[in-house]
Amino acid sequence: MGVSLPPVADQPRVFRRLRVGLARNGLRVALESGRLRFLSMIATSLVVAAFTGAVSWYLFRQLAVNNIPFKGAIVGGLFDLLFFTLGGMLVFSTGIILYASLYTAPEARYLLTTPARADHIFATKFQGAVAFSSWAFVVLGVPIFLAYGLTAGVPWYFYALLPVFLLGYVLLPGSVSAALCLLLVRYMPRNRRQFLLLVTLAAVLLAGVWLARVGMSIRKSIQTQGRELDDLIGQFDLVRSGLAPSHWMTRGVLAAARGDLPGAALPLALVWSNGLLVYVGAAALARRLYRPGFDRMSGLGRGKKLYGTSPLDRAMEFLVGYLDRPTRVLVVKDFRTFRRDPTQWGLLILFGVLMLIGASNFRGIYQGGFAVMDRYAISLMNLCGTAVLLCAGLSRFIYPLISLEGRKFWILGLTPVSRDQILWGKFAFAATGSLLIAEGLILFTDLLIGLPPEGLAIHALTLAVVALGLSGLNVGLGACLPNFKETDPSKIVVGFGGTVNMVAGLGFVVVVIALMVVPFHAAQLARGASNRPDAAVSPWVFAGLPVGLVLGAAAVVLPLRAGARSLRAVEF
Amino acid sequence: MIDIVEVTKRYGPKVAVQDLSLHVPAGELFAFLGPNGAGKTTTIKMLCGLLFPSSGTVSVGGFDLAARGDQARALIAYVPDQPFLYEKLTGREFLQFTADLYALPPDRARDKIAEVIDLFHLDEFVDDLTERYSHGMRQRTVFAAALVHDPRLLIADEPTVGLDPKSIRELKTLLRKLASGGMTIFLSTHTLDIAEELADRIGIIDRGRLIGCGTMDDLRRQASRDGTLEDLFMAITEEAAAEAAVTAEAKP
Repeated sequence: MGVSLPPVADQPRVFRRLRVGLARNGLRVALESGRLRFLSMIATSLVVAAFTGAVSWYLFRQLAVNNIPFKGAIVGGLFDLLFFTLGGMLVFSTGIILYASLYTAPEARYLLTTPARADHIFATKFQGAVAFSSWAFVVLGVPIFLAYGLTAGVPWYFYALLPVFLLGYVLLPGSVSAALCLLLVRYMPRNRRQFLLLVTLAAVLLAGVWLARVGMSIRKSIQTQGRELDDLIGQFDLVRSGLAPSHWMTRGVLAAARGDLPGAALPLALVWSNGLLVYVGAAALARRLYRPGFDRMSGLGRGKKLYGTSPLDRAMEFLVGYLDRPTRVLVVKDFRTFRRDPTQWGLLILFGVLMLIGASNFRGIYQGGFAVMDRYAISLMNLCGTAVLLCAGLSRFIYPLISLEGRKFWILGLTPVSRDQILWGKFAFAATGSLLIAEGLILFTDLLIGLPPEGLAIHALTLAVVALGLSGLNVGLGACLPNFKETDPSKIVVGFGGTVNMVAGLGFVVVVIALMVVPFHAAQLARGASNRPDAAVSPWVFAGLPVGLVLGAAAVVLPLRAGARSLRAVEF
Repeated sequence: MIDIVEVTKRYGPKVAVQDLSLHVPAGELFAFLGPNGAGKTTTIKMLCGLLFPSSGTVSVGGFDLAARGDQARALIAYVPDQPFLYEKLTGREFLQFTADLYALPPDRARDKIAEVIDLFHLDEFVDDLTERYSHGMRQRTVFAAALVHDPRLLIADEPTVGLDPKSIRELKTLLRKLASGGMTIFLSTHTLDIAEELADRIGIIDRGRLIGCGTMDDLRRQASRDGTLEDLFMAITEEAAAEAAVTAEAKP
């Protein structure tokens, strides 16, 4: 017989109060101490939303110009695809966030030692994960539908129903993702790595086959100048099926747009009822599986793993062979830390692969007879994408490096390495890695697209300036504005210094590209548009190159010098 | 209050705890000692319901943690070695959250919160956000939260780490007082003099096995020698290590 038990709390209410308290205090702190960061987040979201809205408005206007019905099958197909894509993104993002907050977060470990019921912990974490992951959904989705509403001339209740539709739709992919996450953790085979590798390979294979079929269909419709679209439309049958929630959304939204309220109510009810049903199912799964899953998770990955040197370390040491030995050792140490953390390089690989797939698809399209001038536009887009990737990657991984040394600076402080050498070591590490990635990506994609040699040379030079300049900025500002108290790099990145660094980096990228590349591409596009492909290009097109080089040199030297001065003065 | 019966816990092929049986009655202050990696934290995690045994049962207050974990955890407070606090709550808000989670009536919650704030001298910083707390301040706040709902069992993992000497002295006095009042205390520590000074009984775990358990006199008899707990701990763990080496050699 057990001892007498205390009463049971109204846990949903307790967790609701907790969330309100956390949100209120978080907002207060954001407004008091991180106003710049907070405002920059809001401003960025508004800019992205406004840009998405403007592009959508323009595209919807094109429908009107081409006399395509706003509430017909073509727009329906586009909406099907949009909802399906957004739903897919929500499945992945909610799953990843939920996994982290249920199984690896210190808060989960704490809550699991309290009498909080597993399904209540799940519910509170689920709401947080869905709110976080649907941020992009709101920023991208709402402006698209507002633009649609404005151009299509919809009744007022279209706007009133829109948030109800979107909110309901967030619930369904989020719940599916949560159920998958719980099942996967509980029943995943012991050999986690092998299993995940197999699943990833299967997913990539399926996506590859589908993309190839879509590519072939696009080519076919281009070759027949749009006469044979059946094949292409057929590739999207899944998202248009009556069982697909994305199609329920399309049916409902279009019905609301047509002013058919009863027609909108049924799909809306389908979206909400299915979303809630799957959510209740996921919560029931959580009640049974969350704690055993957590137990199982704690037991995984305890196998002994031997770490040693790798040929990659030796390659990195070779690449920075011009440095003295102690600095080389520091560079290899940073590189080793980087390569042993898959979350650090996973995104880089993903983006790189997407760029390569995109470039090879464009190449296929050229063979189908696209205008030559478009290759300049596409290669410029690739270059901008690579530069932004570098900016984001270096801000995330290089900027916090000096701050992260803070707590263990005594280790470096006791070695015969000066603080200047430490700084230069970080710069060499950042510059070597970013040069390799950026030049490799841009040269490969430009060659695939078939850019002429002068374009190739300008791209290579510009990205070298971007890579070196961003490396200097990140290492220099990282030393000038360090945060030695924080141990979590992601928190260092979103702090004041990280925000300043990100804004400075983006500004640098925009100016360098505008000076060094845009004039050349604009000239080529103008030449293509004027139907005079043999016309000579003005030498003024290259006038921005020396200015960009000077700017790049300044972005390396000035921040590093200031960073070295600051680092020499720091007391640990 | 605590009943651990033939518990084994495996992490894949690795056995973290093996055939552990332990009974700790209500009102006892039990110190749990062992070298690093001996299985102390795994045992504590099973006691809190964070992990489940691969075989055997763990019960608190008569409730099996695998079958009736929510009821068992209502009786427990856990103070981990790495204290968790919500960064964007104040200490007072965290105490209130804990009181709410354990369903304390509002009046009682208010009185208990005031009592633990006074007991752990939190008044100077209790209304600041916890993200500004030092390790010692965090540890004291977590201890206060652990006691706000009058648990029947207090589990503390290295509770003195990060505390200043005065706070350690006060904590030792408090732990003894709580045990005298009927609270069961399960204390895991590497600080042997604290265990020797406070504990009614001491358990020593090594390589997942309980190799010694009892009062200081029991341990002296087992080690066949006199001396401090440090002497006994060294003697018992070295003897166990020698036995393990012999067993390993005997295996084909």
